[in-house]
Amino acid sequence: MQFVAKRCGVKFSPPSVVLIYESKDTKTIRKRIIPVRNFSKCSDCCTAANRMKYHVRHREYLEGVTLAQLERLHIVLQDHMQGRSLEHTLASLRLDPEEDLNKLDDEDLARKKAQMDELFECNRRQKDDPGFVYDLEVEFKAEGREPCSWDEETSDDGF
Amino acid sequence: MAGDASGIPDLDQEKYDADEQVKIICLGDSAVGKSKLMERFLIDGYRPQQLSTYALTLYKYTTTIDSKAVLVDFWDTAGQERFQSMHPSYYHKAHACIMVFDVQRKITYKNLTNWYLELREYRPEIPCVVVANKIDADMKVTQRNFNFAKKQGLPLYFVSAADGTNVVKMFKETIKMAVSYKQNSSDFMDEVMRELENFELEPKKDLLETTEEELKAES
Repeated sequence: MQFVAKRCGVKFSPPSVVLIYESKDTKTIRKRIIPVRNFSKCSDCCTAANRMKYHVRHREYLEGVTLAQLERLHIVLQDHMQGRSLEHTLASLRLDPEEDLNKLDDEDLARKKAQMDELFECNRRQKDDPGFVYDLEVEFKAEGREPCSWDEETSDDGF
Repeated sequence: MAGDASGIPDLDQEKYDADEQVKIICLGDSAVGKSKLMERFLIDGYRPQQLSTYALTLYKYTTTIDSKAVLVDFWDTAGQERFQSMHPSYYHKAHACIMVFDVQRKITYKNLTNWYLELREYRPEIPCVVVANKIDADMKVTQRNFNFAKKQGLPLYFVSAADGTNVVKMFKETIKMAVSYKQNSSDFMDEVMRELENFELEPKKDLLETTEEELKAES
């Protein structure tokens, strides 16, 4: 790898992805600004990220940047175009176990689900996997179970 | 079964009165994994019917219990849970309920109380199971007591829709409970509903006549 990506971020105006990288040959830290073209409020962020990552002029620099990260950067740019606050966008891209997901709109809920899906896919056992058992039963003994801290608050909520 | 997927889904719930039909509903907060559990159980045989007008997804399943074919309709919420409450027709004629929470999110556990209250408002007697999903994310939770289930006297299952742990077991046992409930149903509300349905036509007419007579008398 000739270029080692160090950090990356966005610039709202004009919409661009900013990459800080180290050039192996010269041992220097450099900045590259990649303009985000043909990208609007309605564009698909995943497609746009894909286009950027494999663009002839940028792909060598973006080798160390995952597609998922580029997609998130595009989401940040797009949310800004739609007038959403940066705070809102960043919150929507982060899982907070305390957050009540019932209160989110479709788009924000989909983002949370996408993040949860990463773990789901990682732990997933599928039909075609070797050793797959459809009816997988595991017994968890009830004896010796510890009380759950979630039950502790003894308010009058019925728990 | 081909007709089921392509035909216009009838929301005629009378069919759940037939012996071989049971209706099982899923409850729980957004993103606890209700649909993922359904999909894991039905694996490749699933053809969900999206009834977006009703914010509802139906999954059909056929099985055999005591050498009798049983048709199971699973009702899944499709976003309706966002309103923290389901339409009464969701509960109507249900024979069992699967209540799901996410072991990584306390709020989904706390909200079981609300879901359970609403369930019991409409279906005071049907069997209900509590499902602790996503145990693959943290196996330690299986060593903890979740008091809600115990307090309400409900079975608790530790499951993972991702790796499949106990998913099939939970569904199969719930179906059995639904069928057995249906066979032995002495649900008070069911009986009241039956009575009311038989009643409906005539009393209405009587009421109308009385009112007319009263009106005449008054004038």
